[in-house]
Amino acid sequence: MLSDVTFDVREGELLSVVGPSGCGKTTLLRLLCGLTPPSDGSVLFNGKAVMRPPREVALVFQDYSRSLFPWLSVIRNVMLPLRRAGLRRGEKIARAEAVLQEMGLHGVARKYPWELSGGMQQRVAIARALVSRPKILLLDEPFGSVDALTRTELQDVLLRVHGDFEERRVTIVHVTHDIDEAVYLSDRVLVLGSAPGRLVASIDVELERPRVQTATRSSPRFLAVRNEIHDVIASREREAGHLGV
Amino acid sequence: MTAAFLNRVGRRLLGAVVFGAALGIWEAWARSEPSFLFPPVTAVLERAWQVWPTTDFLTSVAASLERLAAGYALGAGIGIAAGLLMGSLRAARRTLEPLVEFLRAVPPVAIVPAVIVVLGLGNGMRIAVIAFAVCFPVLVNTVEGVRAVAPETRDTAAMLHLGLAETIFRIYLPAALPSIVAGLRVALSIGVIMVVISEFVGASDGIGHYILFQQSQFNVPEMYGGILFLGLLGYVLNRLFLLVEDHLLSWHFRAAGEPTR
Amino acid sequence: MKQANLVGWLFVVLVTGLLEVGVRLFELRDSVPAPSAVLRALAEGVSSGTLSGEVGTTLESYAEGLGLAIAAGIVLGLVIGSSRTLLEASSIVIEFLRPIPAVALIPLAIMVFGLGLPMRRFVIAYAALWPILINTLYGARGADRLLHDVARTSGVTRLGRLVSVTFPAALPSIATGIRVSASLALLVGVTAELVTGTEGIGSYMQRQQLAYQLPELYAAIVVTGFLGYAINVALRRAERHFLFWVGEGRLAR
Repeated sequence: MLSDVTFDVREGELLSVVGPSGCGKTTLLRLLCGLTPPSDGSVLFNGKAVMRPPREVALVFQDYSRSLFPWLSVIRNVMLPLRRAGLRRGEKIARAEAVLQEMGLHGVARKYPWELSGGMQQRVAIARALVSRPKILLLDEPFGSVDALTRTELQDVLLRVHGDFEERRVTIVHVTHDIDEAVYLSDRVLVLGSAPGRLVASIDVELERPRVQTATRSSPRFLAVRNEIHDVIASREREAGHLGV
Repeated sequence: MTAAFLNRVGRRLLGAVVFGAALGIWEAWARSEPSFLFPPVTAVLERAWQVWPTTDFLTSVAASLERLAAGYALGAGIGIAAGLLMGSLRAARRTLEPLVEFLRAVPPVAIVPAVIVVLGLGNGMRIAVIAFAVCFPVLVNTVEGVRAVAPETRDTAAMLHLGLAETIFRIYLPAALPSIVAGLRVALSIGVIMVVISEFVGASDGIGHYILFQQSQFNVPEMYGGILFLGLLGYVLNRLFLLVEDHLLSWHFRAAGEPTR
Repeated sequence: MKQANLVGWLFVVLVTGLLEVGVRLFELRDSVPAPSAVLRALAEGVSSGTLSGEVGTTLESYAEGLGLAIAAGIVLGLVIGSSRTLLEASSIVIEFLRPIPAVALIPLAIMVFGLGLPMRRFVIAYAALWPILINTLYGARGADRLLHDVARTSGVTRLGRLVSVTFPAALPSIATGIRVSASLALLVGVTAELVTGTEGIGSYMQRQQLAYQLPELYAAIVVTGFLGYAINVALRRAERHFLFWVGEGRLAR
């Protein structure tokens, strides 16, 4: 599925991975978090090989309805990662509630995930990922299942998480097929080509932070970067014989 | 009174009327052509009215229910435990699969003679046979339920660093619960059938024994009464089960957007 | 085609071996026969034609009863299921008769039909009717409105619609019903044979138990198991063959 992919993830950066469908973006994430062992090569976290999901890594899925447990309330879902943290019950609840507040969710603790809207559910999923204070946050097309408006809201939530969540910067690797989104959010964008997935380009975004939906997206640099990515993908697809042009 | 309401009431009445008419036809025919084998409805109901409230009969019913409960609990327990194991661990599934597939194909009544040899004609035999029959639908449905757990759910469990036991009991079991309950429902009707079958052989009480005994004594209305009672019992048990199911699975129904019954 | 499950079959061999050792070691031959004895009895029973004869007898009433139930169940189910009125009219009668276990009717059936084939045919048919009828009803109700509208505007008669739209649409449900009925019918049929003790594999088992011929008894159980298994496999093959157009999710594995 993937071949010849080598890259570093720098601490504190927000890295997006884009590429056409089927190029192995999800497989890449699974490799990064240790859910799938590599058939060749290795994944290193702080120099150590990743054999199984490290405790410092958290994952957010696209389909929140399948990753949040419907038989548990929101607060219990969010508290799950804290099982082994050695905290008292009161502390666990407090932490979970704090994270929910950070995500802009108020008064939903006792509700069930399926009682909330899609956007709110995904925030709960992100909250659950953050409650254990991970060093690295991985997201697999996290905004693919929500409507466009909610999507932009959630993008800004992610930026906040990256920038000033409890005054620590979380390293984020974010997989998406939406190039504009990738450029808007990231410090760097990795472009994968398809079948087999191959690292085609690594592009530094170099846009100012904090990012703003309107201003940033209309800046010349933004357009330049997104066009560059589009061109890279198009020429790669042509090479691979996928486009008729 | 809206048209829709009248419509519904009318339709309900239609069903009742048809049912009543069927009974009426039976009654009329049985009276005009008295047949030993097909007594009038009124005769059956009359005997039922006399027999059903008696201590003897009720004790008999209680005995049947006890056997059913014990066999059902045992069979369901084994079915769920084995099902969780086989559903979660590929190795377990592959190892046990041929044996389970074969045992499952044996009609439970076929093991009755063999169990009699080992356990005699008492309640032990009955409970064993009921448990055997109950365990397979539950097992199969449990395995299916666990295997159907979404990859995202499994991955989340892995990311949360849940151990095997925790994953099975805190994730797979709740996730598979709707499927397990479906299996339990099927198993209930099989259980009722097996209680009757097990009471056909060498029992001294129980509804199955009652029906057979009345037949041997040529008490035809009583025999019909026993059959009727069994039907009612099955119906009531099913209703109760649905109630419990609703309660257990309320989160599932609401999550799936289905109305609870 | 799945590859053969070596581990599973090895496990079966292991269990059989352990049983063999256990029975000999603990002298359990009075309660449980040694697998080697069962296999011998099985070979003998098959080669002498005894077992196959009994199975044949069982299959006779089984096939007839099941066939009756399938025909009646499908026809009734389609007709009733296609009409709201008929459905409501018959609902209480169906709900009343349905929970009555067919095995409970065996004593009655003996009185009415005697101890032979007609009695067994009746209880098997009764038992098998309900799952098929209910499933056909369910399938007929679920038939896509769109298909019906297309048929109606194409000028197909009511009966024609029943046959060419409702019936195929209900087939997946009907198939499930037939599978359930098939195993239920076998259970009830063997029970009837056991209770009446005249002919068929059920009564054969009863006789072997009374005569304490344990290897023969277990051989009969094994044969009955294979019978049940074969019926199930045959039905699944038939289902896949006739219902090739149904998506994977709806068919049995």
